[in-house]
Amino acid sequence: MLNQYIPVLMHLLVVVGFATMTLLMSVWFGRRSTSKQDIKDTAYECGMIPIGENQPRFSVKFYIVAMLFVLFDIEVVFLYPWAVVFRDFLSADQILIFWSILGFVGILFVAYLYALKKRALNWVG
Amino acid sequence: MPAYILELIVVGLGLILLLLESFLPRLGAKGLAAIGSVGLLVVLFLLPSVTGAPSESTGIIWKFYSADSLALFYKGLALITTILVLMMSVVYVPVMQRYLGTGGGVGEYLILPVFTCAGLMWMASANDLTSIFVSLEVVTIGFYIMVAYMRRNVGSLEAGVKYLILGAVSTGFLVYGIAFLFGVTGQTNLDVISTVLGLLEGQDKIILFSFALLLVAFGFKVAAVPFQMWVPDVYQGAPTPTAAFLSVGSKAAGFIVLSRIVDAFLGDHGVQTGDGSYQDQIQRVLLVVAGATILFGSLAAIPQTNFKRLMAYSSISHAGFILLALACAYPVRMDMASGEVVAFYLAAYLPMTMAAFFVLCIVRSSRGEEEISVLDGLGKRSPFLAFVLLVSVMGLAGIPLTVGFLGKLYVFQAALDQGHFVLLAIATLGAAAGFYYYFKVVRSMYWNAPSDQDAIAVGTGSRVLLALLAAAIIFLGLNQGIILGFLR
Repeated sequence: MLNQYIPVLMHLLVVVGFATMTLLMSVWFGRRSTSKQDIKDTAYECGMIPIGENQPRFSVKFYIVAMLFVLFDIEVVFLYPWAVVFRDFLSADQILIFWSILGFVGILFVAYLYALKKRALNWVG
Repeated sequence: MPAYILELIVVGLGLILLLLESFLPRLGAKGLAAIGSVGLLVVLFLLPSVTGAPSESTGIIWKFYSADSLALFYKGLALITTILVLMMSVVYVPVMQRYLGTGGGVGEYLILPVFTCAGLMWMASANDLTSIFVSLEVVTIGFYIMVAYMRRNVGSLEAGVKYLILGAVSTGFLVYGIAFLFGVTGQTNLDVISTVLGLLEGQDKIILFSFALLLVAFGFKVAAVPFQMWVPDVYQGAPTPTAAFLSVGSKAAGFIVLSRIVDAFLGDHGVQTGDGSYQDQIQRVLLVVAGATILFGSLAAIPQTNFKRLMAYSSISHAGFILLALACAYPVRMDMASGEVVAFYLAAYLPMTMAAFFVLCIVRSSRGEEEISVLDGLGKRSPFLAFVLLVSVMGLAGIPLTVGFLGKLYVFQAALDQGHFVLLAIATLGAAAGFYYYFKVVRSMYWNAPSDQDAIAVGTGSRVLLALLAAAIIFLGLNQGIILGFLR
């Protein structure tokens, strides 16, 4: 009965072991010197300097590109399940599935033209 | 031609406008509005020729979509509203340009109503919880942008943030309610849900809970108390054409969906009031909300000095009257179903509200203010604008010979039929308060001394439209058969 939980236990061990090993390894190999050094005593935040203004300003271009990326990324996500069921629908004579995805992609194509023409993808200027 | 072609045409029109706007920038706001409204007008003329579901309905779409006479009626309302909003936007463009900053165009402001119109039309036909949700989001997301469109104006941004956050919360309630309803019935189609609910025994609590969640969501859309907090601030901050669009289009679509949902819950239960069934409790909740909405809207409108806030509270109180009609399901002695009373009231509400906001747009673009005091002496300066506004507020107050009177009359008749005498008293009180606060506008126009003598310039197109709206308010009030004819 309890045997089926062994993978969970192993998973737990791996998780705890990974966290412990990461911490220990950085102590072993980091060769933290005992003398006081500012750069080595700062908290590690993925390479970013952890202290600064609390609301740094980003150019609005980042947001526009990120939004467009999400939009067209989601489009592709929708295409996957469509492609999976496409053949089944065709064999059931449901040609509607073709026109509906054409409409969907068509709307996004117009949106793409609009974004291009509005220079949303131009980084300079 | 099946009815859903209309929505496809409207979306296609929106896409064409979007391309025209980006590739032919010299078309300008006027050109876009002209193409948009002509396109929508064509769709409006196609409306009577569409057909509903074929008898041996094969298409999967008819599981999500209905094209009964009520749906077609609301589609017509959505189209007329959008055309008027586009016309109004053209007048309002100079005001908006002041708040756009460099590089901000107004083109999208004239295209978004077209997409929103497609959503409103789809909402009118939606009879499945999934299509209701999707069409509602199409409408709401369009409104989020339009409300916050004047991005250098603090009021517009504040309105946008309020509308966005509260709208998102209400959408959350909607999804939660849909989930519960689906959990109880295992269905999403409202007709099937109605049948299944009639067969369920002893599930009253969970049915009521899901109805309460749905009522919260749609109470927000139609501005019913206690979900009305956003209305005055959003109306005041949003561009005036958007406020008009919210007040007529969004409300009408909210009510058609709410009435379909209420119908599904009540089923063919009939009028057995006081038997303690969940249908009876739903009716009682609706009555309480309707009464509170009428009272709050009417009383809070009295001290307002800003015209748009006044219209916001007036729109809350009108929502109360419509909810009262909705709560009086199955009036026995009238030959109108409660859904038809609701539709009639909304059709009457359209020209009155649109005329008032249209006049306000014109006044705002020349005076830059929206307080009631800006109308001082309008009767002397611009007799035509003053007369149109007079007709419109007469209609909103419900004075006989206007279409607003007929709308209120049917609601009162329905309430009388059902014997809701407390609600009748509240409604009378609300209507009486309405006479007072609408009269403030009339007093300002005709009694107060004008602050300056210049007449306000009105373009020919606006003049024709305003005259048409004023004529509609009176003409439809004299011939009640016209709206009823469209309804059936």
